[in-house]
Amino acid sequence: METVEKKPLTVDAYAEEGRRILEYYEKGPWPSHVAELKKTNYPIDAYGAGLAARKTMWAAGSAKIRFVYTGFIARRTRDGKYAELHFRVWQPSGQIYTTQKLRQLIEFIEKYGLGLVELAGQQGMMIISIQPEKADEAIDALRAIGTDVGATGDTIRELATCVGPALCEFALYDTLAARDYFLTHPKIYEWMSNQLFPFKFKAKFSGCPFDCTRAVHRADFGFIGVWEGAPEVDQARFRELVERGVVDPVKLAANCPSGAIRWDAERRELVIDGSKCKKSMHCIRTAFPAIKPGKNRKIAVLVGGHVKGRFGGKMSKPLAIVNDYKEAADWVVKTVEAWMEGMEKGMVKHKDRIGDFIMKVGFKRYLEEVVKVKPQGKPTLHPSLRAGAVLDDEERKMWLDWVNKIVAEYKL
Amino acid sequence: MSAERLKKRLPVPYTDWLPEALKRNLGKWVDRKFHGYGIIEHVSATGERIFTVKVGTPPNFRVSTDTLKKFVEIADTYGIGALRITRNGNVEFMADSLEKALKIKEEVEKLGFPVGGWGPTIWSINSCTAFLTCTTAVVDAPSITKVLYDALKPYFTGEITLPAKLRINVSGCPSSCGGFTADINLVGHYGDAPTYDPERIKLCLPKSAKALEAGHVPEVAEVCPTGAIKVYGKPDGSVGLDVIRSKCIACGRCRDVCDWMDFDQSKAGVAVLIGGKASNTGRGPLPSVQVIPWVPAIPPAYREIVAVVKKIIDVWRQNAREGERLGDWVYRIGMEKFYEMLNIPVTKWNKPVKFEGEFGIRQFLA
Repeated sequence: METVEKKPLTVDAYAEEGRRILEYYEKGPWPSHVAELKKTNYPIDAYGAGLAARKTMWAAGSAKIRFVYTGFIARRTRDGKYAELHFRVWQPSGQIYTTQKLRQLIEFIEKYGLGLVELAGQQGMMIISIQPEKADEAIDALRAIGTDVGATGDTIRELATCVGPALCEFALYDTLAARDYFLTHPKIYEWMSNQLFPFKFKAKFSGCPFDCTRAVHRADFGFIGVWEGAPEVDQARFRELVERGVVDPVKLAANCPSGAIRWDAERRELVIDGSKCKKSMHCIRTAFPAIKPGKNRKIAVLVGGHVKGRFGGKMSKPLAIVNDYKEAADWVVKTVEAWMEGMEKGMVKHKDRIGDFIMKVGFKRYLEEVVKVKPQGKPTLHPSLRAGAVLDDEERKMWLDWVNKIVAEYKL
Repeated sequence: MSAERLKKRLPVPYTDWLPEALKRNLGKWVDRKFHGYGIIEHVSATGERIFTVKVGTPPNFRVSTDTLKKFVEIADTYGIGALRITRNGNVEFMADSLEKALKIKEEVEKLGFPVGGWGPTIWSINSCTAFLTCTTAVVDAPSITKVLYDALKPYFTGEITLPAKLRINVSGCPSSCGGFTADINLVGHYGDAPTYDPERIKLCLPKSAKALEAGHVPEVAEVCPTGAIKVYGKPDGSVGLDVIRSKCIACGRCRDVCDWMDFDQSKAGVAVLIGGKASNTGRGPLPSVQVIPWVPAIPPAYREIVAVVKKIIDVWRQNAREGERLGDWVYRIGMEKFYEMLNIPVTKWNKPVKFEGEFGIRQFLA
């Protein structure tokens, strides 16, 4: 096992070695983050030193902006050499920006930051290194563009949507309007200004069962567009696809994961059993638009999914099927209030997500007592999702030997 | 003044941010066609057509305004004057003809940015910030993402195709901000129980043992999901801390709340989790499972990580059916079989799992 030389964990001690490592990442066919960082005044040595020391140089810092309590992240290097203040900025629903807005944002990033931005779609745009002495002014400038900072810490985080009706054929409800509705809901608006939750809160809006926002994995409240019964088949149009050789109807039926499709060769019609259909989108994807989602559209509301949380990740549980996302607003309020109340009583601990809270209360009791909804689905249990292992030297050696064989196989 | 300043300026309604061409066709999209990997044509009921061009960005999606300005220039010259950021940081350009879309592809490729990421390809490698900003990172996700993208680029552009879509998540620590529920996930962890400096750890503990007698549990102990961190009063009245190694699962929660919990970087590495998916296709949504508890993470080349990911992709490519996501394939053949194919030793940290029941929206249909 290679050993790492012990030096004081400072940027200066590792900077030189760090620069050599960084050069490695400027090469290669994929666009380089290091090359982008180097085009700006980013303190690249802090990053390089981290790679050389194999420890992050960053520790929590502090910052104060008048009457703004979320939406910025302060860091300092452990040796005090550098400090950073990042702005996390709310994105418009669907994350579509006109170039006019982008030019305004670029001007903002260059005036108040280093000319560097993290285009993280799922959690808000992160503007790197705002000059702390201009942070107050920067908030006003950002608001003049039409957005604001937010979504950091134990509060409402970025509410994510798929592209929805703006550019997708499968959007079964208006995910963009849904996010706007929740973002401006009086209670959510009230909560997002402070950090009073046990941990973060995320909601995700997916227009169809493809779940592009992965609401089933990473949302405390997930909204997924569905339909009742079978997909809608335009038989004439489907036959045309068959005749043109675009779709093989027998293969289409055989590959349906729900086993709900039959090709009636005599009548040359596709027959789909709606009671069996699990909404896998297979036939729709293969023969769109001859096969489309059914007309009777609904929204599946899921609760308690998360990746990060005290007891490991969880997949979400079935709360209810609704006709309109507004029906769920009251459940969100009741759930968050009970979760916060749980923390006051000591039952919910700091860093417990809503999924952890529901686990402690019990899902059945949560439905009966917190949201007062009749059970509509059957929640599936699974071992909690986690990564990590506590190994001794011998075990590490075993895995090293195992992986070295693959390294040799690929001649790396 | 203060009351006024407390008010948020949220970016609503979203229509204020939409280009005219999308506003006109909102909710009217009726058909789609694919033009190679990375270009999708959307057809509106109004007869208008929009072509999206999906472009890969640097690890952790960090771009300079210099680059962003060039993107904006291209979007104005050949596109409809707008850009979209996807959930995992790809950038989508939009144009009103295939000719212009191909011109956009040509222009971004000239700048060194690849086009791809649709269909049976790699859609994205999602990375957390790790050593760029994070305080709890164990390994550096962006540099791992860079070497993986360098090694796997033909799978993004579609030069080589896969059985189905592939998403990779790279997270610097078990908090997994970069995610760990995709098809292949790499998550940094200590590889051992946490260490701590006996002097500095006092900053996370009460000064006097009397606080413990009164029932106070310091957060660094309380946050542990397995009760592996014990705090106790010492005879001199101060407070001590012990990590019970046999109970520890290396989840890193203690370091989340106390910066003086530490780790030995020569023992740290990444765990490999596979088979997660959110989409309701195939077997439906699935959680991911840790299959390889530890491989070392050694910059700059991360050879071991690149090798493992290549191997998993190759075995999947050779054995899966058309359209079968990694999770669907492993579910069908069973984890034991998958372990056999890769000669993976079975330990208490990677016991094979077979999921019963349905996840996601299928829980309503069961």
